[in-house]
Amino acid sequence: MNIFLRELRANVKSLLIWSVIVALFVVVGFSKFSAYEGNPELLAILDDLPAAMVEAMNLRAFNLTTITGFYGVMITYFALILSIAAAMWGSDIITKEERDRTVEFALTLPVTRSQLITGKTLAAVVDSIALLLVTWGAVLANATAYQTDAQFYKFVSLSMLALFIMQLIFLAIGIFLGCAMTHYKRASSLAVSLLLGTYFLSIVSGLDKNLEFLKYFSPFKYFDAGVLLHESRLEMPYVWLSAGIILVAMVGAYVSYARRDLYI
Amino acid sequence: MSIIEVNHLSKYYGKAKARGIVDVSFNVEEGEIFGFIGPNGAGKSTTIRLFLSLIYPSSGEAKIFGKDCIQYGPEIRQDIGYLPSEVFYYEGMKVLDLLKYSASFYHKDCSKRLHELAELMELDLTRRIDDLSYGNKKKVGIVQGLLHQPKLIVLDEPTSGLDPLMQRKFFNLIREENERGATIFFSSHILGEVQKMCNRVAIIKEGSIINIQDIKTLQKDNYKKIRVAGNGLDEARFAVEGVNNLEREDGAISFFFKGDINMMMRLLSEQEVADVTIEEPTLEEIFMHYYE
Repeated sequence: MNIFLRELRANVKSLLIWSVIVALFVVVGFSKFSAYEGNPELLAILDDLPAAMVEAMNLRAFNLTTITGFYGVMITYFALILSIAAAMWGSDIITKEERDRTVEFALTLPVTRSQLITGKTLAAVVDSIALLLVTWGAVLANATAYQTDAQFYKFVSLSMLALFIMQLIFLAIGIFLGCAMTHYKRASSLAVSLLLGTYFLSIVSGLDKNLEFLKYFSPFKYFDAGVLLHESRLEMPYVWLSAGIILVAMVGAYVSYARRDLYI
Repeated sequence: MSIIEVNHLSKYYGKAKARGIVDVSFNVEEGEIFGFIGPNGAGKSTTIRLFLSLIYPSSGEAKIFGKDCIQYGPEIRQDIGYLPSEVFYYEGMKVLDLLKYSASFYHKDCSKRLHELAELMELDLTRRIDDLSYGNKKKVGIVQGLLHQPKLIVLDEPTSGLDPLMQRKFFNLIREENERGATIFFSSHILGEVQKMCNRVAIIKEGSIINIQDIKTLQKDNYKKIRVAGNGLDEARFAVEGVNNLEREDGAISFFFKGDINMMMRLLSEQEVADVTIEEPTLEEIFMHYYE
């Protein structure tokens, strides 16, 4: 409990910075929407764009001239921002003990390494939830200026749930890398590289039917915004796949950290 | 009862199998102040890290309070106080918050002792860790290591960064803890410190224990480093039993001496000297000359 609270306090600054980034992004995004709103000529422009690009940016599933449609396109960017924050928090919260050379202090206290990971993980989860709520709040606040309906709110809620699962996936991967890698300096950059790599996989998998299998390797493809909007559900196989990834990463984190030599 | 039991403990680091310690065995009895001396890189910190289960042994085992260090690590550490040579704490925390954080892990109320120790070491509890000088951080380390009144105190080069006054306070504090019943494991490369404090010492060199001795025996065996300056010194007169490594420099001779110090004093008084120094050889010198 004391580890959890200390980590929360230590991470307040980082949470504030990410909150500002997300809030600014929402404000800028919605101000762009005011140009699209009720402007059907824009839809004609889409027809001129290369089909692959339209597909990659998921522009087809949505009617950009409505707030719901516009939000559907923004989800991808929320996913990127929130996942990057989660991956970095995950790896940092573990590796900073080595980086700041506090690891000997932390581990010579009468705690098990598992307790340390648990406290830190919980703190990072709470931070992720807080950032998600900031995102949610900013979206709802900015949307009040436009025509919204019940479908919009349902869509937003469901997409937040999807974003939360993605945060947990990348948080777990970050924690795993932080625990397992002896070169602690590389853990954070590897976590973010992995994240960006899977993002590009998600784009590539949409380009060609033969590459579609790649979507299993990219959490960005697990929760298609089109399905969220039109069918109002998460695809269960992907929920299970996500749970599996999180479980494997966390078990890997506990096991590898328990076996490592840790010293300054 | 043995507080620390080390049996054939070896540690090699990483894939390169870099030598940490090799086949180390010794016991530390309850209530002892046990010195652990050796030059830098000899394996002192490796041994301590193994006690604290920061690292895992390659072979052999270490037991503290009769329990395996790895298996019962967290339980054992309830009763261990550890002071590293260089302390690192979470920056951005206030000293008091950090000490309270540390205290919160022990199954007892440490707040009274915490304040006592802080007062004794003249530690300002309201300051932030990142604003502290090296010596002041060390004081935080001392309070943090002792606030739970541990049964075993592990010191790794504890005096670096402390001024002489604080060093004396610190040694008095350690002696008090010892009188209270705590066992002390005192690792250092400063022979004088260890000689003053300890009952027994183990000497470690290149990862292996080369000698475990009662401190009185060690002192009797000890060499003095003598340097005589003066014009027209008769070098040949010093070619007596007990003199080693005689070296002549410009207008001075220096050597190591082991034997009756009165005899040496008489020998010196025969000479017309400008200056005489008699000092303890550094540990490095002892290693260089007598353990080859």
